[in-house]
Order: sequence, then structure tokens, then C-alpha cells
Amino acid sequence: MAHALTADELRQQTTLGEDASSWSNRLLGIGLLLLLGSAAYAFAGPEGSWRQFQFSYHIAFCFFLSMTLGALWFVTIHHLVGAKWSTTVRRVAELTMGSFPLLLVLFLPTLFSVLKGDDGLFLWVSHEKMESSHLLHGKIAFLNPTFFIVRVAIYFAVWIGFARFFASNSRAQDLNGDVMLTAKMRKLAPLAIILFALTTTFAAFDFLMALEPEWFSTIFGVYFFAGCALSFFCSTIVITMLAQEKGRLQGIVTAEHYHDLGKWTFAFVFFWGYIAFSQFMLIWYANLPEETFWFRDRFEGSWISIAVFILLGHLLIPFGGLVSRHVKRNRAALAFWAVTLLLMHWVDLYWIAMPVLHEKGVEFHMFDVSLLLGIGGVFAGLWLKRAQGGLLAPVKDPYFEASLRFKNM
Amino acid sequence: MTSSTTTQSVLDQPPLVQGGLDFAGVTQTVIGVVESKETPKIWFALFGVSVILLLMLLGMIGHLIWTGVGVWGNNVPVAWGWPIVNFVFWVGIGHAGTLISAILFLFRQGWRTGINRFAEAMTIFAVICAGLFPGIHIGRVWLAYWLFPIPNQMEMWPQFRSPLLWDVFAVSTYFTVSAMFWYLGLVPDIATIRDRATTPIRKLIYGLLALGWRGSARQWHRYERAYLILAALSTPLVLSVHSVVSFDFAVSQIPGWHTTIFPPYFVAGAIFSGFAMVVTLAVPARALFNMKNLITDRHLESMNKVILATGMMVGYAYSIEFFIAWYSGNALERFTFINRAFGWYAWAYWIMVSCNVLAPQVFWFKKMRTSVPVMMVVAILVNVGMWFERFVIVITSLSRDYLPSSWGYFSPTGVDIAMFVGSFGLFFTLFLLFLRFLPMVAVAEVKNVMDQAHPSHH
Repeated sequence: MAHALTADELRQQTTLGEDASSWSNRLLGIGLLLLLGSAAYAFAGPEGSWRQFQFSYHIAFCFFLSMTLGALWFVTIHHLVGAKWSTTVRRVAELTMGSFPLLLVLFLPTLFSVLKGDDGLFLWVSHEKMESSHLLHGKIAFLNPTFFIVRVAIYFAVWIGFARFFASNSRAQDLNGDVMLTAKMRKLAPLAIILFALTTTFAAFDFLMALEPEWFSTIFGVYFFAGCALSFFCSTIVITMLAQEKGRLQGIVTAEHYHDLGKWTFAFVFFWGYIAFSQFMLIWYANLPEETFWFRDRFEGSWISIAVFILLGHLLIPFGGLVSRHVKRNRAALAFWAVTLLLMHWVDLYWIAMPVLHEKGVEFHMFDVSLLLGIGGVFAGLWLKRAQGGLLAPVKDPYFEASLRFKNM
Repeated sequence: MTSSTTTQSVLDQPPLVQGGLDFAGVTQTVIGVVESKETPKIWFALFGVSVILLLMLLGMIGHLIWTGVGVWGNNVPVAWGWPIVNFVFWVGIGHAGTLISAILFLFRQGWRTGINRFAEAMTIFAVICAGLFPGIHIGRVWLAYWLFPIPNQMEMWPQFRSPLLWDVFAVSTYFTVSAMFWYLGLVPDIATIRDRATTPIRKLIYGLLALGWRGSARQWHRYERAYLILAALSTPLVLSVHSVVSFDFAVSQIPGWHTTIFPPYFVAGAIFSGFAMVVTLAVPARALFNMKNLITDRHLESMNKVILATGMMVGYAYSIEFFIAWYSGNALERFTFINRAFGWYAWAYWIMVSCNVLAPQVFWFKKMRTSVPVMMVVAILVNVGMWFERFVIVITSLSRDYLPSSWGYFSPTGVDIAMFVGSFGLFFTLFLLFLRFLPMVAVAEVKNVMDQAHPSHH
């Protein structure tokens, strides 16, 4: 950035134009169409379509949930440590974490099927199956519909509550620039991070680990969190770059911020690999049947090629690709890795969940794409709607200037 | 701007260097300690006690080698007793230095400059203490070099599939990189001592150690480069060392040892105990050598925040382990955890929980975080608690294995206790020598975070 932004430029750079609203309607329309079309096919289509729908839908849901959780974590940690550099990109995260109410609505079909006693997605819904196994019998106190609904209600109450708290105070600051609002958010950040850690962990247990109710891994919550943070950073890179394509956030999110976002992406590629390796290696080495079956199922048939693909595409290749500072400061290169890693995160979730349905090997289904795009369309459409209601950056944050000025060494 | 003054008063932290010190003042405060002819009397007292304990340790090691490992309390079923507990304890402490130097550097945390030097020194000495225990635990100490994969005519190789061997590589790599990092940071400061030296002996010794440092722009440029690269190399090492230590336990099938969260949980615990040790040492050291302007209350408060945060992570791991032990439905896992909390070793378990999870909770309050007596008590409690954490892991799981007929109760012998106490002698001997003869604060780095170094920001 050659010169400081004038007030007019700042307003122009942080306000969405007229075309945003038509884009948002288009995305919403396409998304809803895909969702409804897929749902219609799930009911009318051949045998097994509904179960396929449940799984594809759940994976797409978890994909967008993880990104949104990553956004909540980022905003919380920003206030917790009093970060400055991240101020200019924080609003993007705040807009993303506004998706929790949508995610709650999107979870209702799954919740409803659990209530109805449909054990297509979660085996533990069936009381008979839980009673038939000694191992599962002992878990009924935790894995039962009533307690599940209570837990889901707690998760969303915590997530929606804190997301609203941080986003609304941040927006209020856009108007008056009150420093006390920052102080207020900092005060609540420690509580937010504790509740975030607990709810995210148990959500990971409930939404993904419990798909195989016999299986357990103490690190699984951390594994899911690594994916949350990674997909959040990648999505933020993509969103800010798209905004800049449309002539917004220019001179506000600079190469310095991309460099730092790239560092975080790199860090979480590494961290994800560290956690994934720890989980795999310890289970493989100890070779206890009650744990190894989970990996055995995920190496079965063509699933092994997905596993190898994840090892390469989620860890080794992006690790090499993101090491260099030149890559992190180059828009095209960083965008490439951000999109690649978003896809890989989806593949990771797919590999965790889908072998429950397709035990013998990979069977891609139209729903995998249509529901990902369907939820994605609604997610993006509502994101744009929220963005139109305010500014794209917290311009009156006490550290906004510092964040604009900041330089990597 | 009026808004910036309110920002500062509400949100910003006090400056990192207090007492109105300028660049020369900082140099004098730190280097003056090394140059001073007068050693504080208390230093001599502490050094004397440390050397006596060190001699006791050496005597015990001689006794052990002469007699055999039977002098320890180790026995079936608890074949890993205090030596392994002490090893993990000391390795854990050796994590703060590199975290402060490397990870906080990458996070651009300016406050690390006040404490990184002696945290790194502490790291190196703690790793020396740690390396001692497995070294003498192998039984035939004179064959310790077999741990290294040295080509030999008998084609005998170490067991590469054993995490105990990975430990050898992980800890020795960590020690090497930490020592290099520490020494690299020392070079400009040692050159300062050389330049100010008034006696030929001092000029010669520090001159040799300064490796020809002249402080030219080119040298600084290369120095900064090397520093960044070493920081990047050290960062994965902070994770790897204690992860590999955790593998020693977690690859096994012993209930309470085999759990997937062990690697990150051990790393969090290591940082937790390392920071507690830094606070334990920083508070008396800064009082003894008048470093309060450089190691300010803000530094201590920041460290206490890290202690609180990592203490919560450790508490998270305890809770998740307990929950999954139940959720797994595995009777042996369930038994192990109930046995930990309510069995014969319940006293150790509750010491661990009280010291590691409950005690740091006082740091939620700013008054407590900034009170020197409170933080000393908490830091020492955390040190105690983290020793007991390793005790709980090693002893409770081993003493109650799969066969009730082989169950037993572990009791340490006098040699166990004397060696553990003696390892503090080794640690403090080295640390006190460091405080007296090397600059305990990174002078050049502290100057870099002073306002005077950034005139454009005014």
C-alpha cells in the first residue's frame, strides 16, 4: 500500500456494492435448489438413497461446522491474547461465525431422524443394537437420544451465544470506536475458550467418533479441532481474495496479512499431521483389536487409496508447498493451497465418516457433491447477506491502524 | 491523538524495560553482574549446598554402578520407578527455554527477551539432569554407547522399533539445537563483556568465546538469519521431544499408558512445568542481582498466564482420559482410572490434581498473578504436582497390571531419594555458575524491544 487510506476510500473498501445482494440471492437459490432436489431424490430414489443422503449431508454439515468453529476459535484467541495483526481480517471471521444459527437449522433433519429412531446414520439410536453388544451396552448412559439432544442444545447455545457476543460488540465498535468494548471482549475470552474447547471436543465425539460407537480415541477432539482451524484459515484466505477481486478490502488486507494467514495455515497443516500421526501410530503400534478395527475399516478395499491420498494431499505435499515465504506472500500460490486444503479437509471428513456406510470401498455418489454445494450455497448466500448489513473490517478497532501498518520482519 | 491515550491506559501493557534505563543502563545492569568483583554471600551459600548435593549424586551413581540397579526400589511389577519419573520430570522442565526462544519468537512476543536467556540455560541444564537417569538406568553403564547406531563388526544394532531408542535421538537432537540456539544468542553479549574487559584473563576467555564477533551490519544480518532458522528448527523440537517421551508409555498396552492424547498432553504438561520452573528461578534471581527493571512484573504476569493456560490444558487431558476410560467400555481402563483416584495411590493422584489443576486457578485474578509470594507458592506447587503426575503415570499403572497375583506396592529406597535430591544439586550448580559468569539477560535482544530502538513509532 503506497498511501494511507482516506475516510472515503475506507468506506468504499469495506462496504459491499449492489451486486452483492443479487449474488447472495443466486447462491441461496442454487443452494436451496440443490438441497431440495437431493432430498426429493433421497425419498423417491432407489433403495439406500436415504441413508446415502444422511451420510453425505452429515459430512457436508461437519465441513461447514468445522470452518465456523474455527472462526469462533480465531476471534476468541484474538481477544484472549490481545492480538493486533489480525484486526483487519477479524471481521471476516466474525461474519463466518455468524453461521451457527444456520448450522443449527441444518442439523434439525439429523436431530429429527434421531428422535424418530432412525439408526441409519447413528447406529447407537437403535436400542436393540446397543443392548446386543456388551461393549455398547455400557455406553447407553451417554449414547441415547435424550442426552444427545441435550448435548447438541448445549453446544449450539454456547456457540451461538459467544459468536453473537463477539460479533455484536465488534459491530457496535464500528459506530462509536469505544475502547471499552475491546476490554469487555477480552474479559470474556477466557471463559469462551474453555467452553469452546469442551463443546468442540464433545461435538467431535458426538458427530464423528460416535458414528462407530465402539471406537474411542482420547485425541479425537484435538484432531477435529486441527481441521476446524485449518479450514477456517483456508476459507478466510479464499474469502478475502474474492472480496479483493471485487474491489473490496484492498489496502486493508495486505501481503503481510496473507503471509501470517499462510503461516497459520502451514502451522495447522503441521499440527494436523502431528495429531493424525499420534493417533494412528499409537493405535497401530499397540495393536489392540478394540481400537485397530477403525483403521482397518478405513484401509479396506479402495479406502486405502483415500488414506494415502490424505497423507500426501493433507500433509506431505502442502507441507513442502507452504514452507517458503514467497508462496505465502504470493496470491495465486496461496489461493491454490487454500483451495486444495479445503478440499482435503472435506476428504478427511469423508474418510472418517463414509466407511461406516460403504464398508467395502469408496463409492462416490452424486449426493456427496450436490449436498456439499447445496449447503455451501446457502452458507455463502447468508454470509453475503450478513456482510451487507455492515462493514467488512472493524475500522474503529483500537488496533486497526496497527494492523494496517504491521510488517513481517 | 486522544483515542490512543485511552487505548494505552485501558488495553496496553507497561513497557518491557522499567526504571528509565537507556541502552547503556541495560548493558550495565546485566554485564555489571558478570564484571562485579563482589559475589553475593547468598550465592556462595547456595553454591556450596548445590555442590554438596552434586557430590552426593556422584557418590550414589558410583554406588549404583558398583552394586547394581538393585539399590533402587525398582522391582517387578514396577520395573520403572523413580529414575524414569525423574527423567520425564527433568525433560519436561527443559521445555520452557525453547518454547520461549522459538515459539514466542515466531509469535512476535517481545516480552520473551527479558527471560529467554536464562530460560534457555535452565533448559540445557534440565536436559543434562534428564539424560543422566536413563543413562544410568540401562544397567551396564559402560555399554551406554550401544544406544547409538555405530557400525560394528558384529552387526549389532539398537532396536529401532523401540521408543526408548527414539528418545535417545529426540533428546540428543533437542539438546544440540537448544545449546546452539543458546550459544548463538550469547555471542553478541559475550563480545560486549570482552570489549569492556579490564583484565587480560577476562579479555582472553570471553574473547575466545565471542568467536570474533565485531557487531558489523553483515554479522548482524547473518545472525538474524541464523536466529530465525534455528527458531524454525526448534519449534517442531518443542513438540517432538516430549511426544517421543510420551510414546515410551503410549505405544504399550498397559491401561493408563496407552491413550492417544498422550503426545499433546505431555507437551502441554512440559511447557506447564517448564514455565513454573522459570518463575521459581526468576523471582529470586532478579531480586538477588537487581534485575527488576528487566525482568519486570509484566514478564512474571505473562508467564503466570502461560502457566494458567497450560494448566487448563493438562486438566483437559486428565478429564478426557477419565471420560474415555469410561466411554471405551474397557474394564481394564476403567479399573485403572478408578484405582488412580481411589486406590492405594489416591494420595498421589490428588496431590497431582490439586497442584496442577486447582492451584493455578488463582491466576485468574490479576492481583494473584502479580503477587510475588503467591506466584512463588503456585510455581513450586506446580513443580511438585508435575513430578507427581509422572509418578502417578509410571507407578499406578505398573503396580496394578493384568495379573492381580503380581500386584505390588512400590516404595522408593534411600538411594532413589538421594539421587533425585542430588539431581537438583547438579542442576543448581550449573545454574548458579551461569548466573555468575554469563549475562543472564539477553542484552542485545532486550534493546531491540525498547522504544528507543523504534524511533519511527513516536
